[in-house]
Amino acid sequence: MAGTSALSHGDDGLFDPDSAPPFPRSVTIAVVIPLPTALLVLTGAATGLVGSLLGLGGGVFLVPILTLAMGVPIRAAVAASLFSVIATASASATVNLSRGLVNIRLGLVLEVATSLGGLAGGLAAAYLSQRQLFLTFAITLLAMGIAMARRSGRRNVIADLATDPGPLGGRLTEAGASYVYRVRRLPLALGASVVAGTVSGLLGLGGGIVKVPVLNAFCGVPMRVAAGTSTFMIGVTASASAFLYFGRGDVALPLTAAIALGALPGSLLGARFSDRFGTRSLKVLMTGVLILVAVRMALEAW
Amino acid sequence: MSNDLHSLDRAIELALSVGVLMSGACLILGLWLGSTPLLRWGLVLLLATPMARVVVVTFGLFQRRDWLFASISLWIFLVLASAASVGLHLRP
Repeated sequence: MAGTSALSHGDDGLFDPDSAPPFPRSVTIAVVIPLPTALLVLTGAATGLVGSLLGLGGGVFLVPILTLAMGVPIRAAVAASLFSVIATASASATVNLSRGLVNIRLGLVLEVATSLGGLAGGLAAAYLSQRQLFLTFAITLLAMGIAMARRSGRRNVIADLATDPGPLGGRLTEAGASYVYRVRRLPLALGASVVAGTVSGLLGLGGGIVKVPVLNAFCGVPMRVAAGTSTFMIGVTASASAFLYFGRGDVALPLTAAIALGALPGSLLGARFSDRFGTRSLKVLMTGVLILVAVRMALEAW
Repeated sequence: MSNDLHSLDRAIELALSVGVLMSGACLILGLWLGSTPLLRWGLVLLLATPMARVVVVTFGLFQRRDWLFASISLWIFLVLASAASVGLHLRP
């Protein structure tokens, strides 16, 4: 596998045995340090950029890249991914807020579900086999991708501005026109959020990949608001589980720091450019991503 | 309906920006100087940023007497706080 040489306990000067890691999982740290910092920062930036374009958080790409291409142990990769998700969410939420793409009330209600899921997923991560996880996740993603592809043409906003958006709905101005949307099937949105939070805690994927398609395809939330509100939430979701990874000593400091540092400017850039993408291309891109990652995850489980 | 929440946007943006900038500064310096404590602080600050956002929202909603959503936000804060305390008590 590529990068095997970079994984050996290095005599290549980058790992200094005198500055011994402060906690016992020194193996993880010794393994991870020899990867060039610049490469990790760039990886964090690239995944942060694509992640915030899609409202996902970037973990979808980061975990496969770190584990498959760079040979980072899965637990360290998931921990790094959780921190990059927090960085992405925090950096790009400011852009989305000023554009009115965050529905704070809806975000709060769903965060109750995602944060509990994140806590549960973060706790369960220590006990479950990664093989089972990858396979379950591949199936979930594939289902999401299919649901997205089948319903992507649906209009779910109401042009009549006199309609009451309800306590959780809202208004959106897009391309000069104003729309009203109502949130439908809230229990479904809450259920999807628990699943999203759990998946986030287990595999380090902010959870947007589960919530955004469900909110858009089934709950009447416009794509941009679904993505913007999801980005607003995933920081909270990810931090609920990241605390546990941090406490368990699964966080490889230099690796995670480099990835998170790159994710900050990357996701800010992605959030700024996201309005140049048509809603249509956003949906097509999202469907492609879901299926691609599903196949990758299934191969990993094999 | 949701217009009254737009005044919260600035406070949220401020909390997030401060958290991200402080964390980013610690991470850059930590990587540059090879300082493990700085890296640790940078990541802890990053972890604390969403929590700070939740605190700002909770406070803002209580100020607006939006009791229902304020309690929801408070609940989220409690979940995060318990995650933090469980995390602190785990042994590596």
